Amino acid sequence: MKPDFLKGVRFADLTWAGAGPFSTKIFSDFGAEVIKIESSVRLDSVRTGGPFKDRRFGVNRSGYFASRNTGKKSVVLDLKSEEGRALVFDIIRKSDVISNNFGPGAMDRLGLGYDAVRAVKPDIIYLSMPMYGEDGPRAEMLGVGMTISAVTGLMWSTAYGPGDPVGPGTHYPDHAANPYHAAFAVLAALRRKRLTGEGMKIDLSQVESTINFIGTAFVAQAMTGEEPPQASNASGEMAPHGIYRCKGEDAWCAITVGSDAAWAEMARLMGEPRLADDTRFASTAARIGNREALDGIVTTWTSACEAGEVAERLRQAGIPAARVANSRHLVENDVQLAGRGYWQRVEHPELGNSLYASPPYQVDGERVELSRPPLLGEHTREVLSLLLGLDEARLDALETSGVFK
Amino acid sequence: MAALRKPKQPQPYDGMRILDLTHRYGVYAGKLFADLGAEVIRVEPPDGLPDRAALPNRDPRFAFLNANKKSIVLDFGDPRAEARIDALVSSAGAVFIERDGPLYDAIGRLRAANPRAVITAVSPYGMTGPLADAPASDLVLQAAGGIAWMSGRIEREPLALPFSQATMVGSIYAATVTAIALHHAEATGQGHLIDVSVQECIAHSLQNAIQVWDLEQRISIRGGEGTRDATEDIFPCRDGFVFLASPLAVGNSWKSLVAWMVEAGHPSGKIFSHERWSSREWRLTREAREEFRTAFTAFSTLFDKEEMARQAIARRIVMGPASRISEVIDDPQLAHRDFFTQVEMEDGALVRFPGAPFKLTPQVWATARAPALGEHNASVKELSS
Repeated sequence: MKPDFLKGVRFADLTWAGAGPFSTKIFSDFGAEVIKIESSVRLDSVRTGGPFKDRRFGVNRSGYFASRNTGKKSVVLDLKSEEGRALVFDIIRKSDVISNNFGPGAMDRLGLGYDAVRAVKPDIIYLSMPMYGEDGPRAEMLGVGMTISAVTGLMWSTAYGPGDPVGPGTHYPDHAANPYHAAFAVLAALRRKRLTGEGMKIDLSQVESTINFIGTAFVAQAMTGEEPPQASNASGEMAPHGIYRCKGEDAWCAITVGSDAAWAEMARLMGEPRLADDTRFASTAARIGNREALDGIVTTWTSACEAGEVAERLRQAGIPAARVANSRHLVENDVQLAGRGYWQRVEHPELGNSLYASPPYQVDGERVELSRPPLLGEHTREVLSLLLGLDEARLDALETSGVFK
Repeated sequence: MAALRKPKQPQPYDGMRILDLTHRYGVYAGKLFADLGAEVIRVEPPDGLPDRAALPNRDPRFAFLNANKKSIVLDFGDPRAEARIDALVSSAGAVFIERDGPLYDAIGRLRAANPRAVITAVSPYGMTGPLADAPASDLVLQAAGGIAWMSGRIEREPLALPFSQATMVGSIYAATVTAIALHHAEATGQGHLIDVSVQECIAHSLQNAIQVWDLEQRISIRGGEGTRDATEDIFPCRDGFVFLASPLAVGNSWKSLVAWMVEAGHPSGKIFSHERWSSREWRLTREAREEFRTAFTAFSTLFDKEEMARQAIARRIVMGPASRISEVIDDPQLAHRDFFTQVEMEDGALVRFPGAPFKLTPQVWATARAPALGEHNASVKELSS
């Protein structure tokens, strides 16, 4: 299905890079008109960041950009020019939402600060999502997603053990907490606008948003006064609980055993039923206390078997387990994702028939079909003509004077 | 720290009732709605939804994820409860259900009771497919969805993310798609059924790993060798760790960093002025990583986190402290923004909670403590009718 649930909602979308466009993509995927206003002089960093089709650079060849911008329209305007800015204001006048993820003050410098926008569109929903918020002593700190992991405690807590932090291997806050907290806030603002007729300013500090994503750690710290443990893959409530080496190169299986009965079942599967009665492992507390010995025994078993086979046998016995999947496995071999039609291919003039993850749910029993991402500036003339009513002569004049860049 | 008051301004989800029968992977979704004004009611069997049994009293996870919700008790096994369930569903805009919890197998009935409602079903692997009934846990879903593969050191096992991230990712996708479906359902009177797979939610959060495989047939892997610049990592300083990112492509971060070392007369400044550090390709190699780590650590361990943060801001270097949780609560920026809030527990004790994930103007966000089992039985009229 190509849902039209958000038909009639329009964005003037100035977001770029990872987190911002990921939050507006969910709107275009559900039928909103998301007008991505970008520049061919200062390109969106994911257009230039790759991976690229055939490993060949091109502003329309980045798969990363494609995955964050499905179904959007691209309008190229020189925001530093008088005329370019005037056109942006004309688009804003006809939009419900204006979105950006620039650093603090950047929108003001472009003449697009909240007050300036509200002056022309009093009921605007104005989304900003700078790293640390709009103001304050560290507002000017520069960061990438991993910096957000660092200053929130997520990096410290993603660790192999006490004092040995590693951090998430991706810019994780950019791909979950921040885009979707932002999208949720915009959806709430849209409902409030329907109730009251009023707009709203949303100042999403990506640090504050990410702290909520690990909010349970903060409440635990507040209740106990203690730093949450750097627990690795282990759990304070279960054992075995970990990622175990399997047969083959860099092959792993995650296993969690939640009860004595499950442990007895696993012991039987390992061909060592006596382990269930071994006093070192007879209760959860005992298994946690003797974790090292326990993990050694489990590893002896898993490292002789294929990861998929370990997982399947444990699942059949009612024990949670899964191969640690990499991207290739997910795309080529994961029967569950394939069985639910999770992957889609979408035609694109430069990317060819490339692969996309569906929105991670089915709606009324169907997949949300994605529309391809826009070429740079593909919709400039279309939007200015259909939305703003500019005629061909005017568009030609603007093009000649270099406003479309 | 801000005290909590119900905002005077109308809240976005005023007048919206949501029934919440989640107990694990969907629990945070209801909190997001409740803190913006929805009446979110946990509908629980007499001994509570499974999370009450799994988590001890006043468990911080329960307290945070269920903040601001109500709780009522219904004996789902009692035939007399059926009319009450129908009346409740009929009064709700949305119903969250979850696998291994009540009403997950009663979707037809829920939809018949209220065709205008959005029914959101959260489950580890989705409602269909060969693993629809497979046992799961947070760690296992992080493995099955591909995020566990992405973290850790290459010589060690993959490392999952802490603090129940399968719950957080599953919940935030469930919340946003439910809000979208509500937008449509309220406008048209047409309800929807949403089938959220937590595995798919995790697989949707892998940065660009899927495209890297599809377009370049490379598998993104933990450790970042071959993909991450030598400078992009966590490094020790005098009193802990900092995270640094100074690849050549990121503004002046690299130039400023080297200039700082040279200015300080530190020998590492000379090492990094060598021309091979202007090669992007070389900076991706193991050799570069090792050389950078040794020489940068010799410099970074001269300073504490506070000084590193100050210098990073002044010199426009992409660098920040890798704070402990108990240090984040004293972060000067968060203090300036009065971010943390206080929630009054049943016994009157005030506990520090994270503030809003987004700062809204007008201010329409507020939270409150999680409910005791059945605390709101008397105030929900569909229970007595």
